[in-house]
Amino acid sequence: MEKSNNSSEFNLILKYALKDLSRNYNKISSIIITLFISLFILSAIFTIEDSLKKELNDNAKALLGGDLEIDYNRNQGNLDLLNQVKEFATVSQMIEFSTMLSTTGREKNKSLFTRIKTVDEKYPLYGEVDYEPNDAYERMQREPNTILINDSLSKTLNIKINEQVKVQDQNFTVIGIIKSVPDVSGFVAFGDWALAGKQTLDILKFNGIGSFLNYEYKVKFNSDDDPEQVERKIENIFKNDQKVKLRYPENSASGIKRIINNFSQFLSLVSISAMLIAGIGIANTLLSFINQNNMSIAVRKAVGFYSGNIKILYYLQLFILLFVITVISYGSSFLIVPIADKYLSDGLGLNVYPVFSFLNFLKIFLVGLLVLVIFSIPTISSINQVKASNLFRNVFQNLQFYYSKKSVAVSFIFLSTLILLFTIGSEQPTYSLGYFVAFFACLIVFFLLSKLIIFFLKKFKSSSIVLVKISIKNITQTKSITPITVMSLGLGFTLLLTLALVGTNFQREIAKSIPDIAPDYFFVGIQKGEREKFEQGILSMDKDANIEIVPMVSSGIVKINGVDPNTFIKPDNDSYWVIGSERRSSWVEDIPKDNPIVMGEWWDLSKPNQLQISLDAKVAKDFNIQLGDIFTLNIYGREIDGEVINFREVDYRDLSINFVMLFNPQFAKEIPHEYLATAKFNSDKFDETEMLEVMPSLSMIKIADYLLKVTAVLNKVFIAVTLISAVTIIIGLIVISSAIMVQGKIKEYQNLVFKILGFSKKQIIFSSLIEFIIIFMSVILIATFFAVVGSKFIIENIFELVWQFDFKVLIYLGFSIGLITLILILITNLKYLNPKIYPLIRNQ
Amino acid sequence: MSTLLRLKKINLKYQTGKDNIRVLNNIDLNIRKKETVSVVGESGSGKTSLIMLVGGLEKPTSGKIIFQNQEITSLNEDEVSEIRKKNIGIVFQSFYLIPNYTAVENVALTLELNNFKNPEKEAKILLDRFGLKHRFNNLPSQLSGGEQQRVAIARAIAMKPELILADEPTGNLDTENSTLISNILFKYVKEEGSSLIMVTHDPKLADKAKRKIKIKDGKIK
Repeated sequence: MEKSNNSSEFNLILKYALKDLSRNYNKISSIIITLFISLFILSAIFTIEDSLKKELNDNAKALLGGDLEIDYNRNQGNLDLLNQVKEFATVSQMIEFSTMLSTTGREKNKSLFTRIKTVDEKYPLYGEVDYEPNDAYERMQREPNTILINDSLSKTLNIKINEQVKVQDQNFTVIGIIKSVPDVSGFVAFGDWALAGKQTLDILKFNGIGSFLNYEYKVKFNSDDDPEQVERKIENIFKNDQKVKLRYPENSASGIKRIINNFSQFLSLVSISAMLIAGIGIANTLLSFINQNNMSIAVRKAVGFYSGNIKILYYLQLFILLFVITVISYGSSFLIVPIADKYLSDGLGLNVYPVFSFLNFLKIFLVGLLVLVIFSIPTISSINQVKASNLFRNVFQNLQFYYSKKSVAVSFIFLSTLILLFTIGSEQPTYSLGYFVAFFACLIVFFLLSKLIIFFLKKFKSSSIVLVKISIKNITQTKSITPITVMSLGLGFTLLLTLALVGTNFQREIAKSIPDIAPDYFFVGIQKGEREKFEQGILSMDKDANIEIVPMVSSGIVKINGVDPNTFIKPDNDSYWVIGSERRSSWVEDIPKDNPIVMGEWWDLSKPNQLQISLDAKVAKDFNIQLGDIFTLNIYGREIDGEVINFREVDYRDLSINFVMLFNPQFAKEIPHEYLATAKFNSDKFDETEMLEVMPSLSMIKIADYLLKVTAVLNKVFIAVTLISAVTIIIGLIVISSAIMVQGKIKEYQNLVFKILGFSKKQIIFSSLIEFIIIFMSVILIATFFAVVGSKFIIENIFELVWQFDFKVLIYLGFSIGLITLILILITNLKYLNPKIYPLIRNQ
Repeated sequence: MSTLLRLKKINLKYQTGKDNIRVLNNIDLNIRKKETVSVVGESGSGKTSLIMLVGGLEKPTSGKIIFQNQEITSLNEDEVSEIRKKNIGIVFQSFYLIPNYTAVENVALTLELNNFKNPEKEAKILLDRFGLKHRFNNLPSQLSGGEQQRVAIARAIAMKPELILADEPTGNLDTENSTLISNILFKYVKEEGSSLIMVTHDPKLADKAKRKIKIKDGKIK
């Protein structure tokens, strides 16, 4: 038979491939399952991400609220300039602020820090507001002192339609409930908020910083106009206005887009882990399958098949299998879009629909193909080891993974393509590349560990216990599969432990109580002359309350060392928020207890007339700021230069008063300012509504409520992480069992001979257990180390939560994983550990 | 000579799909100590099944097997393994050596299992006796068929068992090796006083045994 270089030969191979596949699919069921699960995860992530991005892109204008947004932050817009825009476009004014909203007329009234969005009659320029009852929105525009509240607020304060609520010293009637608004942003997604008519602004009092005022003007172009020309026209109008920031539809929902990108990056990396680990499982199962077909391969060779043709036969089977599984898994991924839709429409008011993308299908197929080929090359190459002469010598021969220079080179090329495919397409290529480097570093370490185990065990070969001796012999024998078992178990355990540690850290964050040093309340909006009134108000309710009051001023960083920071600090910088808008800053005499200095000196008292800045050390690192650098700050319209003289370690998670920038009090005390206060109470006598009677414009944030909201968000993320982890863990377990099954299958013959010689079932099982325990104990230590490092990185860098080392959890997880694996070994290997002698001897 | 093994009304049936195959039919057989018996018959007559039952590798559908006055058919798998470990050596047509164990290790395994003090030393003495001194550290794949069978016999007799079961021991060997193997086997049973039940197609080899049993359609003729 000639090599398969013509179509008739290929047809013959294809015919045999289909025949073999239809007869053997049950023997490769674990390949089918692992491949399906891993491709399904990948498909689900791609499909949901695509559907979500399409939804965001299709609704970009609705999400932004217009064709263009003119953002004045806390400054009122320049009416002259805005009127110029109104001449050729529609402008809708939206002003947001935060204040306390309280129930009235109840025995015990409740208050909540609420974001209120005042809109004019042109709102929304795009999309629709979903509310009930029918006429509520129009009434809100028409009738003063009316308000619409969102579902969350209605539930938290138990407010019904037509009930009176109090905002500052004004009563409002709740005339409706809002289900969703088109312009989604962070607070709309997760917070308590309300919608009011523009007349509301005239009847409430606002103070600059404490109300978190935000003036936005949404612009809708005339349909006949060229959008690009109009954009340029508007840019031209505002080019000299330093206070304004223009936003375009492509910048809409940037926060949500960033969350989606970060999250899908994490999920993609987990899914590629699942794929790669599945690849190891596939390699193991395939080796076992080829070992079972050892005889038929030898017979095929004896009748004239070339090794190359037989290899093509197996590759073809895998290719057909992959194609069918990719179609099924990609198709199945559409079924989970409605679940994502339910979750997103409840939380964000976004609706996602399945989007078929041929490119995505191709990408998933390509990833599957690359993984399959990379891991099946050393397995299918083992066919070279089968000799037709084996049929004459009657020698049982276990096939081993076979690496030739050519196959290693081909594997390397495919692997590089896979890495490039994932790295280039990801949001943060450095993270992805780092992840792959870490993955293969783990693989190498586990390979070296296997060699180390073999090296040391060879020294203990002279054990007097026969079962230990057999176990050691099995581990150390030439051509043993110990390295592949150690690598499979090692990667599997590392993955399981890492995800379990991520999960337990998540759970701890969710269940976390308020830190000891955290106050009970934050108070904002205390004016310069109200300090004493505030203190008296608090102390009259709880004389032992611990009050901390600090001055607060709003400032924006205009320049760093004379250069506009926006020119060299990119939005993907972790600390971009510091320059993104104005920040609140304060001043103190002494170093704050929970903000230790990590570099530089505290205030230089010899320079009272110079602004000195104490900066958050992380921000300094992210912006590459050195001591002595000059910040030009805009404080109430005045540009002031200040020198950075020290860096502080700031942990915002302790929930006490923390500022990115602190100023030297000698200089700053003359700046017009408000106060920010915290209070920790010793009794439950503090009453928010009573406090509002004293200071109507005061805003109070209850830490417990805030934590509850954070917990709710974390819970949602935790569910997603748990789901994806659970699926990956299933793959991990299948891979572990496949690795063990290969070993078990190979040892079936050995166990058969042992039984003939008189070994009992218990002795054979015990010998296998000793082998497993030796490998498990070595692997689990290294896997734990990798898992600790990996989970710390994921928790701290991807989810930005607190990672904590918990020895008890580690012991518990290690023990559980060991036990589960042991049960798996027994389940999958029992038939190999206790083979039926008669059918085997009769070659049945 | 006293009786070593007694088979009483042994039946063995298999279910293959809907078919019920009767392999052995009401077999009664007594084997005395130090007796050598050859079992002959056509392919599929039930010869190998008979020695599988005697070796405790399979349970009969009905009937009793009594070995050294102990009924092994009523014992569990581990108890039968214990008897086989100490008292029964088995030689197969296909040798059944452990491929990743050397010749010495294959033989020593049985001795180690029975807690011998110097199993490898004993194994070497045995292999040397069978002319395999130069093959101590070779793997089965590096041995010829005759050499592999000599290692298998050495392993089977290492514990000096009361009974040796041999299933076509020369079936895979050439004439020269067949003669060598049969000589070794018969010389050993004579010297050590073991009993031998040997299944064979080879009439010359069958004639070497003191008693010859013919099986046809699962019955002793």
